[in-house]
Formats: sequence, C-alpha cells, structure tokens
Amino acid sequence: MSNAAVILSAQGLRKDYLSGDRRIAVLRGVDLEVKAGESVSIRGESGSGKSTLLHLFSGLDAPDAGVVTWAGTPAQPERRALFLGMVFQSFYLIPELDALQNVLMAGRMLGRVGEPERARAASMLAKVGLAERAEHLPSQLSGGERQRVAVARALMNRPQLLLADEPTGNLDEQTGDAVIELLLDLCRETQTALVLVTHNAAHAAKTGRQLFLHEGVLR
Amino acid sequence: MPWYLYLAFKQLFPTGRRFPFFTFMSGLGVAVGVMLLVVSTSVMGGFSYEIRRMIVDTQGEIQVVAAGTIDNADEIIARISKVPGVVAATPYAQGTVMLEYRRRPVFPLIQGVDLSRVNRVIPFNRYMLAGSLDNLDDDSVILSSQLAASLGAMVGSKVDIFSPLLLEKSNGDEIQLPRTVRIAGIFEIGHQQLDRSVVIASIRLMQELYGLKDSVHGINVRLAPGADEFKTAAALNAVLPDDRRALTWFESNADFQHIIRFEKYMVAFLLMFIVVVAALSIMSSLLISVVRKTREIGLLGALGGNPRQIAACFCAQGLFLGLAGTAVGLLLAWLMLTFRDQIVQVLARLTVGEEVFRQFYLFAKLPSHTVGSDLVFIIIGAIISSTLAGLVPAWRASRLKPVEALRNE
Ligand SMILES: Nc1ncnc2c1ncn2[C@@H]1O[C@H](COP(=O)(O)OP(=O)(O)OP(=O)(O)O)[C@@H](O)[C@H]1O
Ligand SMILES: [Mg+2]
Repeated sequence: MSNAAVILSAQGLRKDYLSGDRRIAVLRGVDLEVKAGESVSIRGESGSGKSTLLHLFSGLDAPDAGVVTWAGTPAQPERRALFLGMVFQSFYLIPELDALQNVLMAGRMLGRVGEPERARAASMLAKVGLAERAEHLPSQLSGGERQRVAVARALMNRPQLLLADEPTGNLDEQTGDAVIELLLDLCRETQTALVLVTHNAAHAAKTGRQLFLHEGVLR
Repeated sequence: MPWYLYLAFKQLFPTGRRFPFFTFMSGLGVAVGVMLLVVSTSVMGGFSYEIRRMIVDTQGEIQVVAAGTIDNADEIIARISKVPGVVAATPYAQGTVMLEYRRRPVFPLIQGVDLSRVNRVIPFNRYMLAGSLDNLDDDSVILSSQLAASLGAMVGSKVDIFSPLLLEKSNGDEIQLPRTVRIAGIFEIGHQQLDRSVVIASIRLMQELYGLKDSVHGINVRLAPGADEFKTAAALNAVLPDDRRALTWFESNADFQHIIRFEKYMVAFLLMFIVVVAALSIMSSLLISVVRKTREIGLLGALGGNPRQIAACFCAQGLFLGLAGTAVGLLLAWLMLTFRDQIVQVLARLTVGEEVFRQFYLFAKLPSHTVGSDLVFIIIGAIISSTLAGLVPAWRASRLKPVEALRNE
C-alpha cells in the first residue's frame, strides 16, 4: 500500500468566501494525499466546507492558495473526464436519457461512443445490478437505483479517482448501506482511489482512513 | 456526433416521449411565420407577374409613343425592326368612344390594330371566346367578354359607335349618323378591368372614327424571349427621333407597379414580426429550460464539458427549431399555394359569396409567383433569427459555474 502511486495530492488549500463585507475562511490549509486503491472518508458539520473541498479536488473550483495535483501533475479541466468520476447527493441524471445513455454520457464527453463503450456501459449497469433497467428513464427508477446509475456513470471511463459527496444523503438507511457497499467494492476491485464525504459514521468506518474537516483543516 | 449535439437532439426529442410538445410548439411558431411570409409574397408577386403578363400580352414589352400622333409609322417600324431583340412591331390607335346596343350606351376604350401584323405582336387568338380575329374587318369590332355580357350582345349583333369627332360635328346643325358595325368576336383576357372595357377594331376604322387619316398613336413592340426590355428600350431610343420615345411595359405602368411592389414589402415587413415573435418564444422556452436544467448543466461541467460546448448544446436547439420550422413552413406554404383556389373558394363562400368576391377582384383566379430571392431571404431570416434566439439562453448556460450550479440542490 505504501508504495502505491499518489493519485490525489492537496497542499495548503485555502478557500475564502465573501459574505457581505466579511471574509469567511472556509478552508484554511488542507493537506491530503490519497494513493491508488485507497479509500478515505471525510466527515464534518454542515457548512464546514466538505463540498467546497471536493470541488477543489475535482478542479471545478480553484483554491485561493495551495495546489491540487492529479497523479503527480497539476489538475486541469481537460483531463477531468478521464481522470476522475463524481457522485452527488442528488444523483444528477439527465432526465431525457435512459439509464444506459446516462452511463454512456461519460464516454460521450470524451467522444467515445463506439461498440466497446456501449458494451462497457452495459456491463457497468450490470455491475450495479441494473442490467434489466438499461432502457428505463431516471423518472422510472427509485432513488437507490438512480444513485447506482450515477455510480456506474462515474466509473464508466475507468477513472483513477472517485469523489462522492454524501451519496446516501437522499436515500433511506438500507438503500444507502447497499450503495456504499457497491461503491467500496467497485473501487477496491479496480484499485480506484475513493474520497467519500458522509455524515454517516458507519459508512465512514468502512473506509481505509477516516478524516474530519473542522475549522478549515483536515484531521 | 459530439455529445452536445446529441444532448441537444435528446432535449428536443426525449427518449420515450412520443410527442415532443415543446419542440412542436416552438417549431410551429417559426413554421407559421415562414408560411405566411412565403404565401403573402408569392401572392403579391403573383399580382405583379400576372399584370406584367397581361400588359405584355396586350401591348408588347415596349411601346413607342409620341407627344402627339405618329404619321410615319411604317418608316419607324422599319427602323426599330433592325434593333437586336426586336421580333415584331405593329401600330395602334386608341381612344374612348360611345358604343350603343339596343339603346344601352357604354364607353369603352377602342384599340385599333393593324390586322395584317398584329398577330405577331399580340396573341389575340389565345384569348378569343367566340368568333375569330380573321373575321375582323373595317366594319366590325371584337368586344371584351364582360362588355358583351353587360350589353347582351353576341357575335353577329350590330352596334352603333359614336366617336368624339362625331359628337363634335353634331354641335352644328346637321345630324350625324353613328357608325354601325358588326360584332366579329368576343375575347377574354382574365383581367377584370380589361374584360369590362376594351373593344378591338381595325386601325383603319379607328383612324376613321378619330379623323386621324394615316397617323397612329403608337407602336407596340414584341421582343425575343429573354431579351432585356430595359436595354432594348434604350437601344430603341437611340435610333428614334427625339420626339418619339420607347417605353417599357414597366414605365408605362410605373405607378401601379410601384404600388404593388410597395404593398408586397409592407405586407412582408408586417408578417416578419411573426417570425420575430416565434424566435422570442423559442428564446423564452430555451431560457426556461436553462433555468430548469441548472443542476444538469453543472453536472455536464463535472463530467468534463466546457462552457463553449454547453452553449453549443442550447444554440443547436435554436438552430434545429429554426431549420425544422422553416422546412415545415415551406411545405405548408407550398400546400397553401397549390390549393389556393380551393381555399379562396371556401373562404368566399363562407363570407360574401363567390360572385361578389369575383367582382371586386382584379383576376379571375388568385395569382401566385414565387420569387427565388424572396424565398432565400425568408429562409435565411427565419434560420438566423431562431439561431440568435438560441444564443441568449446558450450564453446564460455557458456562464453558469458548475460549482454554483451543483450547489443549487
Ligand atoms: N459561493 C459561495 N459564496 C459564499 N459562501 C459560500 C459559497 N459556497 C459555499 N459557501 C459557504 O462555505 C461554507 C461551506 O460550504 P459547503 O457546501 O462546502 O459545506 P458542506 O460541508 O458541504 O456542508 P453540507 O454538509 O451541508 O453539505 C458554508 O458556510 C457556505 O455557506
Ligand atoms: Mg456539502
């Protein structure tokens, strides 16, 4: 484990928000290293900056100070689709597309929609247990099923890193447990690094490393 | 297909939805606008075109006229026949007379034509309903159809003609007898005004009625098909004496042509606003869709899409609605123009009745002439305005920051 490649590295991340004329320091120097195959959970109070931190990790937002590197090179938006996958609390499936097309969308963003990609999308759906639901629209799926489609989509391009922001926040306990099991299994199987933001102590306990975000720093 | 085009298509035609209502309604606005523009410009263009055809058929493309009368018609005809593009020329004399049949007077315009050569300039035989131009001599006339109908006169009937000259003379003490002539035929051009008020006679009869001796009022000139009438008119003016002028059909009817042209552009200008409204409705529905899809737009960013691609996704929807709406509009316009007579019949029957309708109408049938450049203008205008309509929502979408869009939970 210790000699595995560093997939995600963050050093001295700071992020301030202006609230009126007051400057609120949400992140005050976050350092983190995640290696291939490793799983890390981050907990913290609501408003402590967990989502903000994940957005910095994903390169969707830029830090006020500090650097994020992906597998040793600085984060760049063009690499995002290939390098990492994301799962959110509210699934964010595209309502006009069926389950298979939602998964395939990740490949489409890279301009890859050939037969191999279709087969890959179908096998990802099968892996999350939705082989039979490939042609169903998001509106025809339950919350847990939608989140599983989102997981399949996040892993579609074989990313090196998976960022999950409270993926069970909108699910009941049992369904949530199942989604977390699935997430951990799939990441372990493919040696994908996982950063899981959660409020659930039991879910956090299943990850390799458990961190807390408190007063702007990770502990 | 790039993902943003795929997504644009899917947003217009969502999987599993049999009838894409939003797409249909947005496209319909453009289609109706395009249809009305094409139909109206075609019908207005049809009026111009038909009027030109009738004028050219009855006068030739060019008329040579003089301030007074022309007394050396043969010499002038010989001269203009040599000009390239000129096929034939024939003299005419015309004027108003009083024509009486069974004590009913009418005041038609008599057109005196040279029987030996008029056929090469004016295809009268095409318009004859009864009788024939061959039966016309110096003691007979040909009546237009509605004139004959209103008098109740038929081929073979005798009518009396009182010329201004005759009326002038009878101011003295002697009583002048009218000129009695036979009706040799009846013609119909299809233009209400002409069919109500024109009489054809031989030029010798007309010269006699008006006391013209050998002189004429003008010369009708027929051009070869495809010859440019304005250029030929200029060439004719170069060989004509200064007091003779060659006028094209357009110049001799300029006021009327200008009014029709003005009306055509006026109508097109007003109807253009339908396309503008359609584009605005596309814009508002796409804007609503951008707001409604804020989080998905954030997700597209998270999946790796860049702002330009996201903008293209919405722009493409505007472009597609414009293209599809225009295509459907052209099809509807074609259907409407093809079945315009049936449509007018139904409308007339539902409102004032067919007879009344026809009376106030210039033509027996609704004319239509579609000009290619008008079509191109309408098509490009509709497509550009719907694409512009897509641009505003696209700009909004591209400015959404994924982070903020995703926070919008
Ligand atoms: N665009 C912004 N402008 C101002 N303040 C912001 C902005 N985005 C986030 N914040 C603030 O930053 C802090 C951290 O927000 P963040 O969403 O990261 O918290 P979180 O830990 O994910 O909370 P939760 O557990 O409720 O999801 C909050 O106080 C929030 O109000
Ligand atoms: Mg959060």
